[in-house]
Amino acid sequence: MSALLEIRDVSKGFPGVQALQDVDLVLDRGEVLALVGENGAGKSTLMKILSGIYARDTGTISIDGEQVEIAGPRAAQELGISIIHQEMNLLPHLTVAQNIYIGREPRVGPMLQERALRRQTQALLDEIGIRLRPTAVVGDLTVAQQQMVEIAKALSFESTKILVMDEPTSAISISETEVLFRLIASLRERGVGIVYISHRMEELREIADRVTVLRDGRYVDTRDIGEVTDEEIIAMMVGRELSAHHEDRPERQGGDAEVVLSVRGLSTRGLLSDVSFDLHRGEILGFAGLMGAGRTETARAIIGADPISAGTIYVRGEEVRISRPDQAVRRGIGYLPEDRKRHGLMLEQDVAFNVTMSSLAQVRGPLGVLRGGKARQLASSFVDALRIKTPSTRAMVKNLSGGNQQKIVIAKWLARDCDVLIFDEPTRGIDVGAKEEIYRLLHDLAGRGKAVMVISSELPEVLRLAHRIVVMSEGRVTGELANDEADQEKVMALATKNIDEGDVA
Amino acid sequence: MKHSRATFLAVAATAAFTLSACGGSSGELVEDPGAEAEAEGGSGGEEGGAEDGEYDIALVSKGFQHQFWQAVQSGAEEKAEELGVSVTFDGPASETEIDAQLQMLRSAIERGPDAIGFAALDPEACVPLYEEAEQAGIPVVEFDAGCDSEVPVNISKTDSMVAGALAAEHMAELIGGEGKVGVVAHSQINSTGVERRDGFVDKIEADYPDIEVVDIQYGDGDHLKSADIAKTMLAANSDMAGLYGTNEGSAIGIVNAVNELGMEPGEVTIIGFDSGQAQIDAINSGVMAGLITQDPQGIGRFTVESAVQVIEGEDVEEIIDTGSFWVDQSNIEDEEIQAMLYQ
Amino acid sequence: MTESQAPAKERQTSDEGAEAPPEQSTGGWRGRLGQGLQQLLAFGTLMALMLFFAVASPNFFTVSNLTSILLATAVIGILAVGTTFVIITGGIDLSIGTGMTLCSVVTGLLLTDMGLPLIVGVLGGIAFGALVGFINGFNVAVLGLPPFIATLAMMMVAQGLALVLSGVRPIYLSGVPGFQQIALGQLVPRIPNAVLILFALALVLGVVLTKTVLGRMTYAIGSNEEATRLSGINTRRWLLGIYALAGACTGLAGVVLASRLSSAQPQLGMGYELQAIAAVIIGGTSLLGGRGSILGTLIGALIMSVLINGLRIMAVQSEWQTVVVGIVVLVAVFADNLRKRRAEGGGRA
Repeated sequence: MSALLEIRDVSKGFPGVQALQDVDLVLDRGEVLALVGENGAGKSTLMKILSGIYARDTGTISIDGEQVEIAGPRAAQELGISIIHQEMNLLPHLTVAQNIYIGREPRVGPMLQERALRRQTQALLDEIGIRLRPTAVVGDLTVAQQQMVEIAKALSFESTKILVMDEPTSAISISETEVLFRLIASLRERGVGIVYISHRMEELREIADRVTVLRDGRYVDTRDIGEVTDEEIIAMMVGRELSAHHEDRPERQGGDAEVVLSVRGLSTRGLLSDVSFDLHRGEILGFAGLMGAGRTETARAIIGADPISAGTIYVRGEEVRISRPDQAVRRGIGYLPEDRKRHGLMLEQDVAFNVTMSSLAQVRGPLGVLRGGKARQLASSFVDALRIKTPSTRAMVKNLSGGNQQKIVIAKWLARDCDVLIFDEPTRGIDVGAKEEIYRLLHDLAGRGKAVMVISSELPEVLRLAHRIVVMSEGRVTGELANDEADQEKVMALATKNIDEGDVA
Repeated sequence: MKHSRATFLAVAATAAFTLSACGGSSGELVEDPGAEAEAEGGSGGEEGGAEDGEYDIALVSKGFQHQFWQAVQSGAEEKAEELGVSVTFDGPASETEIDAQLQMLRSAIERGPDAIGFAALDPEACVPLYEEAEQAGIPVVEFDAGCDSEVPVNISKTDSMVAGALAAEHMAELIGGEGKVGVVAHSQINSTGVERRDGFVDKIEADYPDIEVVDIQYGDGDHLKSADIAKTMLAANSDMAGLYGTNEGSAIGIVNAVNELGMEPGEVTIIGFDSGQAQIDAINSGVMAGLITQDPQGIGRFTVESAVQVIEGEDVEEIIDTGSFWVDQSNIEDEEIQAMLYQ
Repeated sequence: MTESQAPAKERQTSDEGAEAPPEQSTGGWRGRLGQGLQQLLAFGTLMALMLFFAVASPNFFTVSNLTSILLATAVIGILAVGTTFVIITGGIDLSIGTGMTLCSVVTGLLLTDMGLPLIVGVLGGIAFGALVGFINGFNVAVLGLPPFIATLAMMMVAQGLALVLSGVRPIYLSGVPGFQQIALGQLVPRIPNAVLILFALALVLGVVLTKTVLGRMTYAIGSNEEATRLSGINTRRWLLGIYALAGACTGLAGVVLASRLSSAQPQLGMGYELQAIAAVIIGGTSLLGGRGSILGTLIGALIMSVLINGLRIMAVQSEWQTVVVGIVVLVAVFADNLRKRRAEGGGRA
């Protein structure tokens, strides 16, 4: 019996670059196939060909042994291919039911049949085992729940037999991931073939049967997941062995270093309650916790991006009032947001523009006239220092890879010479090789006396980086661990601690 | 300017008032400046409304920003005082605001005056409201421009076709019966714009075969736009003999164009329409050959008089031509002309 | 998390950015070339129009008519140059038309009723414009009102105030010595001063936009306001400055207008804002913010005047003139979109 999906020798070129070269991919019924590769390896291009957004140059695509032409997204849907994109495509103001059946609503003449729509949606959700109300407004749901809606939408097409999931867990918590995995398992039982794109090795091991690796637009290999080690997969992805210092963990810092940032009793109206901690010079302080625990909110409250209802912030022992981000920056506190594309970068502007954004005072002449040459010099010194891969300081930032974009945000704060750097998910969406570089950079920064706060949802990352770890749950600090006394279990225990029960009772 | 104006100190106070006026209909604005223009300082208490025994007549004009309408208003108020009746005077901020004007007419009907006087910006849009007025038993007289309806009793207006023809006669005489002329009109929709243009063009075509109307363009009565239009006409026709502007803004636009081009007074014959200080100056300086003026105060007077006659059940003439007059350097100082040079 | 609520467009660009390999990221110069291309395109359009009209009518390409075109561009051009800043921040200013009128009335009052010296009247009008702009900026940046609504309200307030302050009648300024020279004097033979003012303003503001911190902040806020704020920039303060600058241009336009008409006409102005905005868009400035140039705006304003002048010279009916200008705006926006899509396609490759 032929495979469910068979891609053979597919190539795709864009002006100036060969995005895919002779790529193969085979997916069986009821199989979860992991598709991995660094950013730029061609995963998304391949998936866009599969979903009919791009047309391939050469090669064949067969479904159930029959060669097919995928003329467009609609044709892909008709062939049974559904794609759940990394960034979701839902309409936040509509309900779950309205989103799932958008454009296909049951109707009588021009009149929509809301009740029939709800019933139909409920039946679908029951069938695939998703517990959501059809009438819930999508904007009110968690990211994971929205993901479920996307999946339900994909499966609402009777014909769906191939499901592509592009980094579905990048924005959801561990417990929610488990729900997702259970759903994937049940889909697999129904014979749906799933292409699963992710950077997270643990996840792939948990759910995938086989793994296909792409590198620089070329097919590398496909292996049974049980037969390869993480190191082998990574080696295939990056084309070289990574120095395997995964086990290095930072030494405990001497507690005598100067306290640079001290937070006491920080609270906000919505979430934070009595958050207190100290950050020392030369230290990396990790912030762990589940989604919604209040880590990003803590960072935003410190820098004055959101209003606080109570609390005091001390910088080098001096009490400061910070109600706007520019005041935080004047105190030497820089924030690298979680969503760097939306909050950290001007994607349509060039590298020099972004790097010098916070330090224009240094490149400004009389009457506020900018010295272009000096600005470029400043930018290029950081491009070199951080080894940012860009054709020039005039390149538009949106054309750089995730890792290099992140480095540009870092360069922005280094140019400003901030003492306190708050990194919010510094490696999200960044490929494995670049991750290592960011880690090294953070260590260098701490080594040079910066005080670094790192918020991360990936426990191994926190354990790997931080000298000390602050764990938050439901807007409060539930514990603080030195690196050498921390492990995943202890952190998870603190992260899931339900404070209300403990405190209030 | 002799009239009292709000000083800068009053800006803050009036700002709030203006805002509220803009939010609803700009008609509320009218009371204030109108009253200011009339009686120095005595603005506050004149909210229209009949005192006991007086007839209450609501006039809704096409606007109030042009001096023309203020002259209509003053004529109306003069007559009202003479006859012992009370009038209110409303109008939209600009002559393109047909909707706002209808809103004012509706408000007037709801107030239930003894008679309504109306000058239609649009001849069709007012028809249904006229029927409402009829049902409410409020007689309607018209002034300046009418509505396509059987409801109104009469209209007091300048016969614009006659006025346009009068302009054509003088143009022909001044340019010696031959040559190219251009028309800068203020509207191709409302009846005065159309009739002043057609009256002029028809007369030229009928009686002066050697005169060619080479171009007709519309500047919305905007001085700047009209100036730019006139300049292009002169650029396109270096032998242009005369230009005719169908209202004050159009005519002043032509005058500005000629000044900006550095042409000698009289190099091209300019005939204007209506009145206003700038046109009077232009005539005195010789840049403008002359203008056609109406008798806006007369319009106001006849309108109020008709209204009162209708209320009292008397017969009135269906169309009252309040007349149009040629003004040039020779007669501009005459007393009877001066009375019509609303400014 | 609010990720799911991100506007679809933004999301799409993020998507593409992630997948682009750094080695091929030629989009920088390509994008830059695109911007230059847009201006080149606009300039080419301008030249083509002039050529067309010159062939179509012998009366078009005369010194006197070209001067008329430049003069006809002055007022709209000054408004457009100022409002380019606001549009690059991703905002819009609908109050510039009636705001201009209000400023001309203020200048008129200062010079006639108050009898103040010429320079006070002129600077007073400009300062009043800056104040109006500052209030717009306050409403947008501090009170957080959407620019469309805030300036729509200001448009009406300004219209009303112009009528109130003037007593609903024109203020004649022919009696003020030297006032008409501001717009119509000729420091350079055959070129009215209003035109010089427009070009000088465009030159100065072109430098401000490309070479100063204020300009940099204009682009930054338009590219990503939140990222700018989180970069430690007091975006409110800069927005206030930007709106005030645009307002000062409105004031200048008011003075030039009054000078040219030798009077302040309180009923003028409505609709001028849309012509100015159209000029900005024809010049390649994006209504979404983050992109645009003063040179483009200047060319855009000239395209509009040349077009209208040429159509009038050819005695095309007014109503058709409006239709043609509307189509040109559509084509300009379409061309811009096309260019942008191509630049992005190139970046993705």
